Amino acid sequence: MSISVNGQSCVPPGFRFHPTEEELLNYYLRKKVASQEIDLDVIRDVDLNKLEPWDIQEKCKIGSGPQNDWYFFSHKDKKYPTGTRTNRATAAGFWKATGRDKAIYNAVKRIGMRKTLVFYKGRAPHGQKSDWIMHEYRLDDPAASGDAAATVAAAAAAAASSDAGQEDGWVVCRVFKKKHHHKESGGGGGRHGSGGGGDGGKAAAAAHHGLQYSSSDDALDQILQYMGRSCKQEHEQLLSPQGGAGARAGPRYLRPIDTVLGGHGFMKLPPLESPSAALTPPHLSAAAGDAAAPPGDDLLHGAGASGITDWAMMDRLVASHLNGQAADAAAQASHHQLCFDDGPGADDADGLAFYAAATTRLLGGGGVGGGSSDDDLWSFTRSSAPAAAATSTERLSHVSL
Amino acid sequence: MGGATDLPPGFHFFPSDEDLVVHFLRRKAANLPCRPDIIPTVLLQHYNPWELNGTALQAGNQWYFFSHAAQSRISPNGYWNPIGADETVTSSGCIVGLKKTLIFCTGEPSKGFKTNWIMHEYHLQDGGYNVSGSSTSSSSSSSRKSQRKRVHSSTESNNWVICRVFESSCGSQVSFHDEGTELSCLDEVFLSLDDYDEVSLPNN
Repeated sequence: MSISVNGQSCVPPGFRFHPTEEELLNYYLRKKVASQEIDLDVIRDVDLNKLEPWDIQEKCKIGSGPQNDWYFFSHKDKKYPTGTRTNRATAAGFWKATGRDKAIYNAVKRIGMRKTLVFYKGRAPHGQKSDWIMHEYRLDDPAASGDAAATVAAAAAAAASSDAGQEDGWVVCRVFKKKHHHKESGGGGGRHGSGGGGDGGKAAAAAHHGLQYSSSDDALDQILQYMGRSCKQEHEQLLSPQGGAGARAGPRYLRPIDTVLGGHGFMKLPPLESPSAALTPPHLSAAAGDAAAPPGDDLLHGAGASGITDWAMMDRLVASHLNGQAADAAAQASHHQLCFDDGPGADDADGLAFYAAATTRLLGGGGVGGGSSDDDLWSFTRSSAPAAAATSTERLSHVSL
Repeated sequence: MGGATDLPPGFHFFPSDEDLVVHFLRRKAANLPCRPDIIPTVLLQHYNPWELNGTALQAGNQWYFFSHAAQSRISPNGYWNPIGADETVTSSGCIVGLKKTLIFCTGEPSKGFKTNWIMHEYHLQDGGYNVSGSSTSSSSSSSRKSQRKRVHSSTESNNWVICRVFESSCGSQVSFHDEGTELSCLDEVFLSLDDYDEVSLPNN
């Protein structure tokens, strides 16, 4: 429908619209933001809240050929007038962010960020995961934010803070259906495990796929992000008097962090986004985690107050926390690879063990509850893990890429 | 790439098998102008695959050109050797073409060395066979029309082929189509981990 003249498609045979990320950001989204006209009106505006993913295909059709991906502009609206979160709910479900935002570079500099979202049918928290994936691109130019001198530093800062700063405005989105490459990790059924070793194994298997193929990704970042997430959950569980049912205890402790970090100074930490991060072999011990942990603990121990649970914020906090320490150490040691272990030599098996351990803790956290101190939260990044979490793995906290 | 078109950025020449046969090869064979007229004719025997740059239409890491079908596909430094079985190309249920896959070998025929260069060679399949077997009463009016046109020159029409050449070490032939529509494996990991999030995070 969209690009046609007199009912004839303007797209000549054999041509398909498949823009690069740079084209999406630097041509289409820039023009959109600047209210400039775009030839052929090839990318349409869509109200994400009113469009189900399965209707996008028709709405965003380009030409007459088969299409595997669809594009649209969307204007992000805040979920709450005062908040930073975006409302991405539709009549039938909602889009939920997954993983960590990825910085998009052209040959020269960072030009934007990409958020990955998954469509869940139903309402949180009982949504059922679907195979519909969305990549949401936003412009994010370090020069524009007045931080040009520290392009690299800005990358990390942006990863953490730009979300908060730019949660409204135009984004350009690419929607596609997940392909099923691996039968293990491809299970988009959305059925939740009930916890326990079996499920941990499944996640570990999925993780192993990642380790095998992830060399080009900013894998380290993502793992750190994941660790942040794990730590967050860990913390929540530790703080809960009942152990497993920690959700209620969370907000009390999260609130102060939220407040303290309101200004983003804290988050403007040196980056971890070195392109070579996943490539070069030297290791460095993340015992630096010790140094970084105390301020976090202080924050976490801040006076309790009831408030809103902003898990995304917490995610970002812990992630940036970990990033910060890692980057500090990296700056000193000029090393790129991070190794959360005292010993040298990382290999895939250890990486897998790390995931297994992490997953086990995630799932078996209920059993950890009570007696541990908060320091356990951080010791997780070093070597030993509590007995409750220990499985058959020996070196539990080893990341290898 | 692309040439001769004034499409905005983001459009790439990425024809399906059907596009190649129906929109390009058929028109070429029927002496109709191709729109857009972007695929040149190349005499295959004059070029090694790595010399196609600037001669054939380049799209991503693939090269497209028309040529004449030949029994022996000899090039200056080697020859194209058929591999695998021929595939049929269908359009709305009808077989419209044949796709052969060949690999480039350097050296003398039958004792050359394989390279990474692959060619898909498309032939018109005359007759408009219906896949379901109900023969020439083709449902597609366009194929009937072009059949009629080709009555005069059926031998000639069979002679034209359209070729796609690519180096298989540059990933698969789908190269630029992968970016963005593939989830990285880590994305997959996070996707599967999201499930566990919600086990312990009921109010997420």
